[in-house]
Amino acid sequence: MSNALEHSYNLAQTRQKWTTIAVIALILGLVLTTFDVIWAFFRAPIVASDVVIDPPAVLEGGTVITNQLLFSQKIFYFHVPVAIVSFVLIIAAAVYAVLHLMHHSAETDLRSKTCMEVGLVFIIGTMISGDLWTRHDWGVWWVWEPRLTTYFILTLLVIAYFVLRTAIDEPERKARFSAVFAIIAAIDAPISFGITRLIPSSIHPVLERGDSGMSPDMLIPFVCGIFGMLLVAFGIFRLRLLLQEQKLEVESLKARLEELDRQ
Amino acid sequence: MDEILAYAYSDVIVAAPYVIGAYVLIWVALLIFVIIMLNSSKKTQSDIDALREAIERREKEQK
Repeated sequence: MSNALEHSYNLAQTRQKWTTIAVIALILGLVLTTFDVIWAFFRAPIVASDVVIDPPAVLEGGTVITNQLLFSQKIFYFHVPVAIVSFVLIIAAAVYAVLHLMHHSAETDLRSKTCMEVGLVFIIGTMISGDLWTRHDWGVWWVWEPRLTTYFILTLLVIAYFVLRTAIDEPERKARFSAVFAIIAAIDAPISFGITRLIPSSIHPVLERGDSGMSPDMLIPFVCGIFGMLLVAFGIFRLRLLLQEQKLEVESLKARLEELDRQ
Repeated sequence: MDEILAYAYSDVIVAAPYVIGAYVLIWVALLIFVIIMLNSSKKTQSDIDALREAIERREKEQK
């Protein structure tokens, strides 16, 4: 068996191992996020809005409700983990981009690109869920407030990253320029994350306290949601990476076949 | 239900389609991405298998 074929079979074995890990991560992530959804809907308390009820409502157990209850807040248990994971992926893309600029390896460029691809999917998820909440609570589909605006800029930067990649043909140049662009795009992630604290006039909801101020009934599903989504993102990232590696292998096998044809 | 209590819970029915819609749409977006990836991976794997077979055949012929 030739070296090219032996290498191909070795790659297949490694890929098999990573596919199993990715699928396990996806299943665990699915379990955790399902647990998050079930807990959020059936166990987590509905938070009170600013609308005061006069006279207060009294439940059978003697609990007094003084404010109208805000069901839409339950979107928080899914929307926030998805948004946090999108930030993590964009930062990870920038880390791989820095590594690429330092070592000039094709592997780091591939990983950076994959992080961006998966990041874009999570950005779309954040945008969809956020927009639905905005429509219900603010009565409009879009508001140019600081968090939404900076997140929209992040979305455009990630799309521009892929436009840039398609615009450059030469592989090394493409990887170098994309790495620089990924780092620039990632600068917006911490800005978007922290903007609601930096600009107090922002109307976007924000946790005011450092300890979150959430009761265990709210904190447990929220944390499960974050870890679940991180596992889902890791699983998707690994599967996407495997697909990219498969495509590279097709190219190298084609090159080997052409070489044999020439002999 | 008591009128005041009904008012206290009035947001639940109005907000439910938006909240459920958000959960469902996020999962649909992720699921579509995974399905597209798995299909593409399956197709690429069959390309790899075909290429390996062709290389093995050529190598045997050349020996």
